[in-house]
Amino acid sequence: MTTTASERSSALRELGLDGQNQATIGRLLATGNIGHAEEGDDGRMRARIRIVPDQLIWDPSVLVLPHGGHLDIEFVNDDQNTHCALVPSNGDSKWMWLPNYSRGTMSVTLDGPGYYWFSSNIGNDEGRGLIGAIVVRGDVPESARLDRPKQPRP
Amino acid sequence: MTDIQDRTDIEYGEAPPPVDFGSLTTAPGTAPPVAQDVTYERILDARSEPQNWLTYYGAYDGQRYSPLDQITTENVVRLTPAWVFSFSPHGLHAGQSTYAFENCPIVVEGVMYVSGWDGWVWALDAKTGQLLWQYKHAIPFDVSLCCGNVNRGVAVAHGKVFVCTLNAHVLALDATTGECLWDVTSGDVRAGESLTVAPLVVKDRIVVGSSGGEFGVRGHLDAYDMETGERVWRCYTIPKPGEPGSETWPQEGEAWARGGANGWITGTFDPETNLLYWGTGNPAPDFDGEVRPGDNLYTDSVIAVDADTGEIRWHYQCTPHDLWDYDSNMECILFEQDGRKLLAHFDKNGYCFVLDRTNGERVRIFPFVDRITWGEISPDGQVTPRIYPDKEGEEVHFYPGPAGAKEWTHAAYSPRTELFYVPVQDTGATVARRRREFKEGIPYWGAAVTVDAKDMAGSVSAFNASGEEVWRWRNDLPMCASVLVTAGDVVFAGTPSGTFVALDARSGEFLWQFNCGSGHHSSPITYSVEGKQYVAVPVGWGAWVEGFLPGMMGGPHGQAMFVFSLPEDIDSAGGR
Repeated sequence: MTTTASERSSALRELGLDGQNQATIGRLLATGNIGHAEEGDDGRMRARIRIVPDQLIWDPSVLVLPHGGHLDIEFVNDDQNTHCALVPSNGDSKWMWLPNYSRGTMSVTLDGPGYYWFSSNIGNDEGRGLIGAIVVRGDVPESARLDRPKQPRP
Repeated sequence: MTDIQDRTDIEYGEAPPPVDFGSLTTAPGTAPPVAQDVTYERILDARSEPQNWLTYYGAYDGQRYSPLDQITTENVVRLTPAWVFSFSPHGLHAGQSTYAFENCPIVVEGVMYVSGWDGWVWALDAKTGQLLWQYKHAIPFDVSLCCGNVNRGVAVAHGKVFVCTLNAHVLALDATTGECLWDVTSGDVRAGESLTVAPLVVKDRIVVGSSGGEFGVRGHLDAYDMETGERVWRCYTIPKPGEPGSETWPQEGEAWARGGANGWITGTFDPETNLLYWGTGNPAPDFDGEVRPGDNLYTDSVIAVDADTGEIRWHYQCTPHDLWDYDSNMECILFEQDGRKLLAHFDKNGYCFVLDRTNGERVRIFPFVDRITWGEISPDGQVTPRIYPDKEGEEVHFYPGPAGAKEWTHAAYSPRTELFYVPVQDTGATVARRRREFKEGIPYWGAAVTVDAKDMAGSVSAFNASGEEVWRWRNDLPMCASVLVTAGDVVFAGTPSGTFVALDARSGEFLWQFNCGSGHHSSPITYSVEGKQYVAVPVGWGAWVEGFLPGMMGGPHGQAMFVFSLPEDIDSAGGR
């Protein structure tokens, strides 16, 4: 069987893979929404990420940054259970409690390009669906590139 | 920014403020300022302070020999664990199935500096194992890794800890707090570059070599100013068209631009010649030589690089036009014989090369593994290939396999016994050429490869500088970890099954073992604190297991620093 990208969301829904305790016990990873961080005049990027009630899913579960740098994330827990946020950052990962109906902001620094997983690392929040990705676009500085002709890419 | 509005039926509270994850440990966050006074001059004379292990190989000569002699062939049987530092990551990280603890610790006056997989750096109390501080660089999950999520060590000088990251950054950390002082991007992750090497402090610089040969990059060494992170020189290990050596690459096309030759293992250094002796990696594509006719300099070579300018002064190519993935990254051990300044290099291709390190002149070549079928190298250096992937899709089987008769893990040399102690792998592989188009960031091997999981053997073999095998300690599995030798005439080596063994340096007699619970693929060291000698070995099986020992693909991962010492009642007479 093959599916197209546009059919993927409906296929996940039909199969019950985009929710809790349907086809599987938890929710398939990375089946949530995609969001973009905003870049301020000060060069810092900002985003808000929520935990959806009874869904154990970050919203957005894929956060896209235009380039590496400093990111301020406001986490909002709309769920009726306590979770937390563990987010990679240069120097040390940042961690915070997210009690029911709470909100708080953390700042992280990430290199680009590449992508990073963040999660709620208690119980099996991760396996149930509370793993998200921060996608960093862009390129390394010119000074770090190889002295060679431009090469073909996939 | 995509957003969902706050719910109006909820009165939100403030979440407790975020913290550094490392603050939720017992680490105090600071280490004694012992690294402040570590200078180039002290590293030059590192063996005069045997309580420390100041640089990757213990000293610039790469001998992995310690003058400590409290632990001897007589009392080593009483060696017991002093402490264990165990660490396991949270969340998902790159290479979850392939991470390994390949580190070689640095010790300065009772503080141990350790790097792990996935951007971890730890400062530990070398007497107790207490975590003092930790640094974690965020490593992209999708970083290109040919051979696993690994890092081989840090360098320490001028109050700083220098470390490379898998996303090709070079960092300087404050040695007392772990705070990042500078961070430079050294390579291009989109091209498949990464960094796994332990930096080498030379004068007021650190030198690093790039990784990424399996992705068709152009290898290079770089020197960075220790204080500022400014790049002082870059030495490409493949010449551009028109440069010396470029005649060994096709004149048409861009094979040179994708040719590999990465310097992913730390070099050695002779202050008298002012030369760095650095091994270079395989050409790319590894097994499809038809797309890169010629010798392909400076792949699979020992290169002597001017420490001040980064210029290549001489080279010796161990496997011209490599078709077997025979990197020459392994250490160059500096020693003297009959008044000559020599180096010994045990290569993946199964031969040891003894060279005059002043000019690269060949002194001696000898085999150090039983089965060599890929070809032959005569004592006068003539290379005759015999079995190699040639016709598209046609399988050939050869020894040693692509992990080599000795992988990157290091031999040791004792000036007391004048013997080299070599971890040997005797494993074959089947390879069929499978041509593929080059695309940046995609593995570029040019073959289908399966390494034998049966009919293999290993040993720690002792050779004198004339190439005579003096003794051999046999192991059922290939030996895939570095060897350490001490003035107590004890050789330490870890096995893939997890045992850490001690052998008599003069006879090879088995003396002692301890089961560490996971295979060894790292570099043990020795040091002392308050007059007591310790032996430390990072334990954590993983990395390119499918390449060097697929028969142990299911072996348990580990992530612990094991440190051993003698019980308190052992007389330390003769100790230092």
